[in-house]
Amino acid sequence: MASEDELNLLVIVVDVNPIWWGQQGQREPEFTLCKCLDAIMVMGNSHMAMTRTNRLAVIASHCQDSHFLYPSKTWKSGDSGGDEISSSRDGKYELLAVANNLIAEEIKNIMTKTEVTGNSTDTLMAGSLAKALCFGQEMKSRILVIKAADDCALQYMNFMNVIFAAQKQNILIDACVLDSDSGLLQQACDITGGLYLKIPQKVALAQYLLWVFLPDSEQRSQLVLPQPAHVDYRAACFCHRNLIEIGYVCSVCLSIFCNFSPICTTC
Amino acid sequence: LPVWAMASLSEEVLLVVKKVRQRKQDGTLYLMAERIAWGPEGKDRFTVSHLYSDIRCQKISPDGKAKIQLQLVLHTGDSTTFHFANESTALKDRDAAKELLQQLLPKFKKKANKELEEKNRMLQEDPVLFQLYKDLVVSQVISAEEFWANRLGGMNNGEPATCNKQEVGISGAFLVSTSNMIHNYFMLPYDSFENVKKKKLLHFKGLHVFALQADIRPQTDGCNGLRYNLTADIIESIFRTYPAVKQKYSENVPHNLTEKEFWTRFFQSHYFHRDRINTGSQDIFSECAKQDEKGLKSLVTQGVKNPLVDLLSLEDKTLDEGYGISKALPSTSNANKSVKESSNSAIIKRFNHHSAMVLAAGSRKGDVPTDQASETSSTDGNSRDSDFFQPPLKKVKLQEAIEYEDLQRENTPKTVALNLKKSDRYAHGPVPLQSQQYTTSQDIINSVGYIQQEMANYKPNLTRVLSSTTATSAIAALSPGGVLMQPVGQQSIHQMVPNDIQGELKHLYIAAGELLRHFWSCFPVNTPFLEEKVTKMKTNLERFQLTKLRPFQEKIQRQYLSANLTGHLEDMFQSAYNKFHIWQTRRMMRKT
Repeated sequence: MASEDELNLLVIVVDVNPIWWGQQGQREPEFTLCKCLDAIMVMGNSHMAMTRTNRLAVIASHCQDSHFLYPSKTWKSGDSGGDEISSSRDGKYELLAVANNLIAEEIKNIMTKTEVTGNSTDTLMAGSLAKALCFGQEMKSRILVIKAADDCALQYMNFMNVIFAAQKQNILIDACVLDSDSGLLQQACDITGGLYLKIPQKVALAQYLLWVFLPDSEQRSQLVLPQPAHVDYRAACFCHRNLIEIGYVCSVCLSIFCNFSPICTTC
Repeated sequence: LPVWAMASLSEEVLLVVKKVRQRKQDGTLYLMAERIAWGPEGKDRFTVSHLYSDIRCQKISPDGKAKIQLQLVLHTGDSTTFHFANESTALKDRDAAKELLQQLLPKFKKKANKELEEKNRMLQEDPVLFQLYKDLVVSQVISAEEFWANRLGGMNNGEPATCNKQEVGISGAFLVSTSNMIHNYFMLPYDSFENVKKKKLLHFKGLHVFALQADIRPQTDGCNGLRYNLTADIIESIFRTYPAVKQKYSENVPHNLTEKEFWTRFFQSHYFHRDRINTGSQDIFSECAKQDEKGLKSLVTQGVKNPLVDLLSLEDKTLDEGYGISKALPSTSNANKSVKESSNSAIIKRFNHHSAMVLAAGSRKGDVPTDQASETSSTDGNSRDSDFFQPPLKKVKLQEAIEYEDLQRENTPKTVALNLKKSDRYAHGPVPLQSQQYTTSQDIINSVGYIQQEMANYKPNLTRVLSSTTATSAIAALSPGGVLMQPVGQQSIHQMVPNDIQGELKHLYIAAGELLRHFWSCFPVNTPFLEEKVTKMKTNLERFQLTKLRPFQEKIQRQYLSANLTGHLEDMFQSAYNKFHIWQTRRMMRKT
């Protein structure tokens, strides 16, 4: 039984890769980044509405950087930041209104200032996760990743380090994947004990989020949720990048090869 | 009855005792090099035979009893009793047998006991090992010797003891207790002395209270009878501490004196008593006393090697009257010493010497060599050779005194830098190549422009996030039986197999792994021993497969478990058989 004063933090890491979302908006106008953000806001509001001790953080994962959408830098713990934010007009719980407004403001800022160069078209997911981990140090937290674009292989090392750090800190990583399966996230969810889900209908994102990802880990044991899929942990050899089941490992640099060779080409 | 008719092979017979009854039958008792045996009169064979290593201890009947008996208690708990029935020599016979056994048993006892103890300890401490032992040895897949072959290290195979057995030190109190006993004896009346008797050796803060059993009795008159028990431990302590006594022992026993007489004289001699007033008698120990004096003197001249310790500054200085004995001058000449003072100094001298000897014995490894000349250590003051060159101790001691280890800077282990030629491989890691969508720069510009436009006008509209149809279809997908809810049949295997089967499988893997390890470690086969072993291991593997694996497979088949749990094990065995077959054919070809 968690104590009444224990804070529960949910960090939502949204993949806002402008290239992918731009293309997506052209492919499927019914599900655009705006719609995605709406669904995320609904999820965030629901989380905060569940108990007083729930906290929320939203990070936008971009090609250039990772950015905290909420809380903004002026956020003081506990209370909402500014009085200059327009008070809610529809009788909404003020915290939620403030959060929504902040998120909207921030994402607009980020996206309008986007300058994408050709060689950095991948989402900086590892960095966002690292920020999320650092943010959730003092309280019991979990991370929900909404993934849009493809995996970036170059972030492999950082990604794995982040995953192991999360495991050590008992921080769950959930993943809701919109487009193509991500092996890295599958591993992350498997190792940390979170849920991985690739949703068949993007427009129903809000429903999936509320049904599967809103309950926290203790509540999940009481619910019937999609079973974790079998994760393919096979490594790929360094020479051909083929998945292998039995391989040879260099004892110095730990690189994996499919054929035996007395000299390691990496070191 | 000729002895050689009954003895097997070339056993050396050490003692023959006639007219010994066992189970109301007359016969003869034979003590041989490695065992004790008894054969009934008129018969050609031994009916009773026990190896010395099987005997735990021997017991004799108390002296007052009519029947003179000797009992052997084995490790298993069984006991055999021999009744010495020769009217004239029964006691002598029994004692001769007993003494011989006393000398022989310790030689065999230690070896067997230690091994068994070690094995038991290992089995108790490691439940995995215990299970392995049960699986492999108890069910006779491999023999116990093979099992223990690699595990006991220096115990089997007569290898030099590489295991670091710690030598048992000597209790400093072993002789003090005897002195105490005598002292107490002379102070107390006889009855209360008897009350001090206890049956077992008790350790109580270093003071030993002797157990008493009739063993050695000095020749005294009735009311001053002293009984002591000299256990083998104490004897060993005495020998290790006082090599001079050991020397005397080996010189005099058994030619001049029996063991009993030797120890009697020892305890009676003034050498042993606290007030060592040299009477220069025919005491065989007077020489020892002189030797001790000499040793003590040389010890003193050697001094202490630690330059930071100044023994000479320690003196019994008195401050004033009432703070101790007040004396005008500390007198050092012998002539002025009162009797009390000289006896005090004698005792102190003896204590110092005793402690020095105990410490010396502890630092001497193993037995004192009979060749005293080879001993170069001068810790006991009795060395024959002079000290060899000693490293400058002063510096070392100074260093020790001024430095604290934990205040030093921590020595981080020296690491070698990893030298990578292709470090970019680390960037992507062991991740398979995935076809990546190629986006042209035009695409990029378009997409970015689009999104910027879209987001510029963003206003959250949370009331229209979801339509009811999409919601219901999502819920349907998430409900049991839906697209996202996988069917039960694909449950992971560990949920389908019952726990006891899992446990059994684990044991099988451990046992099979052990056998396979022995098998594979034989290659490359380049000695005849390995050839034998590899053949033996193959038969062991086959036996294991037959006796353990097949029944397990049948069992899980009976339980309708469709999972193939033993496929991998079978594969491992098969590859071992293949290897053996290849090796065998090669060997055949080489021979032809």
